[in-house]
Amino acid sequence: MSLIESLPHKLGSSVPWMEKGGVLWLDPGPLTVRDLCAEMNAARARFITITTYQLPGTEGFRLEYHWDIEGQLLGFPFKLEGNSIDSIYDMCEAADWIEREIHEEYAIEFTGREYEPLLLRAGDTPGVNLREEVKK
Amino acid sequence: MSYKIPMGPYHPALEEPYKLDLICEGETVCDAKLHIGFNFRGIEHLAETRNYIQVTALMERVCGICSNIHTLTLCQAMEQLAGQAPPPRAKYIRVIMAELERLHSHVLWAGIASKLMGFKTMFMTCFEIREKVMDVLAAISGNRVNYSMNRIGGVNRDIQDPQAILAMINQLESEMMHAVIPIFTTSSTARSRCAGIGVLNEEKAISCGVVGPTARASGLPQDIRRAAPYAAYPELEFNVPVESAGDVRARLLVRALEIIESISILRQALEKLPPGEIDTGDDKVKFITGTATSRVEAPRGEVMYSVSWKEGSRNPSRVHVRTPTYVNMPAVRWMVQGARLADTPLIQASIDPCYSCTDR
Repeated sequence: MSLIESLPHKLGSSVPWMEKGGVLWLDPGPLTVRDLCAEMNAARARFITITTYQLPGTEGFRLEYHWDIEGQLLGFPFKLEGNSIDSIYDMCEAADWIEREIHEEYAIEFTGREYEPLLLRAGDTPGVNLREEVKK
Repeated sequence: MSYKIPMGPYHPALEEPYKLDLICEGETVCDAKLHIGFNFRGIEHLAETRNYIQVTALMERVCGICSNIHTLTLCQAMEQLAGQAPPPRAKYIRVIMAELERLHSHVLWAGIASKLMGFKTMFMTCFEIREKVMDVLAAISGNRVNYSMNRIGGVNRDIQDPQAILAMINQLESEMMHAVIPIFTTSSTARSRCAGIGVLNEEKAISCGVVGPTARASGLPQDIRRAAPYAAYPELEFNVPVESAGDVRARLLVRALEIIESISILRQALEKLPPGEIDTGDDKVKFITGTATSRVEAPRGEVMYSVSWKEGSRNPSRVHVRTPTYVNMPAVRWMVQGARLADTPLIQASIDPCYSCTDR
């Protein structure tokens, strides 16, 4: 059994990977993002990025965390009820800038870390919705 | 006593605006803070207001040096959502454009690095060669910077006379093998200026998640062309140069060796260029609801696009771009620690940073 095949079991998932759009997806279930990060670190996976989706109305956000193992892109979706999620920056240095960017663009709070400004939108309030601004 | 020296956002040593706050003790850099965002254009958000033709033109403007790579990655992602596969000839033309762009980028970087080394003659030589690479790109695409080559389901222009392009490549190879490669691999000037500075060891490279030549110069043999091949790369033979020293010289050597590999790939692709169509011929593109992801090995490392679409919609609902400099740049903080202040321009340039890509 390859490392990737064995990961769902290690992560406590009863469902296998689902291949879609060039990514192997796995529902993390009750796993926290920090638990997941610890497993990815143990598997020597390479962190790629976090993609943020603003859901319609008051549904909140979905964050998709991506890692790479042996050239295979892995994806783990996390639905946010509010606007906060644990930071993984202390466990995964590569997540620093993308967490800061998401904080500035979507006002999502990554708990357990401090931010230095990236200055992506200097002078603006974090979380100003550019989609709404474009509509104006 | 430590003191802070701001470098940038506008500085002679920087190709584009960004800011390094260097914390120094005497001439030694103890730490650095990086600030980006001076080129932020909101392109990801703008993409959500563009249809599939417009969004291709828009994403080509993310970067002026690897513009072709951005449209290639975007089109590969959109092709998954549209259920279209480009014909074999288009895949080869995509490889040819990608490798020419790598040559162009590496030679441009070699020129800038030479200038920062104080090697002005080499700067002139590199930029002269770069012009010739751009001539080849213009001969294929009609353009020198934004090539407009990629479209969903293929490419926009054919290579009518591969032998003529091959002759141009042979000429380029001759000049690079005589001028650029020997100087960067064996000259004592380059060695004395670059060896042992800006070190990023393998452990730190893994921790920072660096990609491309920056990763390969720190002993990590990662290359998306090899790990997750796309376009016509599975049918072509090439080596992935890896160095273990992790210093500026190792980055220089990796790029020099990659120039040789790119020329080899170009020659193979032009000789094997299969006959046939250059696109699927489908004028109407229909997208299914979902998200597709594509990754490509750009000159600076891995580029990733996530594209989401809702069936029946004219525009994508989300386009997320992860560029190589975005992950390579934070590692500069570790590269400059303990370095001499005078070496910091060359160290930050050694990752070949692109802030248009990073800021989007």
